[in-house]
Amino acid sequence: MESNFVQYVVQDSGILIEAALIFYLARTSKWRGQGAVAFYLSSLVVGQLTRACFLHEYGLTSLRYYYAYWSTDFLLVMSAFGVVCLFFRRACWREEKIWRLIRIFLVFLLVLVAAISGVSLSLNRHDFFTYFLVAFNQKLYFTCLVLNTLLYLMLHRMNSADDQLELLVCGMGIQFAGPAATLALVHLTYGGRFAKWLAYQTIPLCTFGMLLVWAYVIVYVPKTAGGLGRRDPPLRPVPAELSKL
Amino acid sequence: MKNLVLMFLLAVLVVATASSLWRMFVATATIDGVRPLVAIGTDPVPPFPPPPKPPKPTK
Repeated sequence: MESNFVQYVVQDSGILIEAALIFYLARTSKWRGQGAVAFYLSSLVVGQLTRACFLHEYGLTSLRYYYAYWSTDFLLVMSAFGVVCLFFRRACWREEKIWRLIRIFLVFLLVLVAAISGVSLSLNRHDFFTYFLVAFNQKLYFTCLVLNTLLYLMLHRMNSADDQLELLVCGMGIQFAGPAATLALVHLTYGGRFAKWLAYQTIPLCTFGMLLVWAYVIVYVPKTAGGLGRRDPPLRPVPAELSKL
Repeated sequence: MKNLVLMFLLAVLVVATASSLWRMFVATATIDGVRPLVAIGTDPVPPFPPPPKPPKPTK
C-alpha cells in the first residue's frame, strides 16, 4: 500500500512538473528558444496523462494498462530520440559539415534499429506488439543512451560554451543511465527478484530526477547569447623576451 | 596501488555492464521473448501479464 502511494506521488508530481514547465516556457516566451525541451515535455505530458487515465480506470495489473504503458512508451522513446537529434543540431550550430555527417548517421541508426526489430518480428509474426513495438522501444532506448553519452563527450571535446545544453544532456543521461544500470544488474543476477523490483522502481525515479534537473536548467540557467560557440581558449602567457619589446 | 585497484574495479564494472547489455540485445533478437525492463516516464511500470495458455491439442 505504501509502495503504491509513493508510486502515485511520483507519477502525479512528474506530470505536475512537466505541465508547470510547459506553462513557464509559454508564459516567459522562452518557447521559441527551447523548442526541443518544449517538444519533449509535451510528449511526456500526453503519454503520461494517457497512462494515468488507463491506470486509474483499469488498475496496475490489468492487461489494458500494460498495453497502454508500452504503446505510449513508443511515443516517448521516439520523442527522446528526436530530442537527442535536436541537441546534436544545437551542439553543431556552427559546424555545418559535422552536422551533415551526424544527420546521416542518426537516420542510419534509426533505420538499423527498425530493421533489427523487423527481423525479430519476422521470426514471431503472431505477436506484433511484443516482438516489434516493445523490442523497437528497448533497442531505440539504448541507442538514445549511447547517443546521449556521445553528445556529452562531443560537447566537452568541442569545449562548448552552451552550459544550458550540457546540463540538459546531463538530465537526459540520468533518465537513460539509471534504468540501463539496473537492467545490467537484472542480467547479472539472472533475473533476481530484488533486481527486477529495483529496475521497476528506478524507471520513474530517474525520469523524475531528469525533470528536476531540467526544471533547474530552464528556470535558473540562462541560454548563452548567440550561443552555441566555443569557449575562447585561454590566453597563452607572453614570454619574457617578447614582453620587453 | 590504490589507482590500480580502482582501475581494476572500473574495468570489471564496464565489462559486466557491456556483457549484460549485449546479452539483452541478443536475447531480444531471438525467439525467447522480449522482457521490457527500460522505459520512460514517472508512471508505475505494469507487471508482465501471465503467458497465454497453450491451445488444447485437438484429437
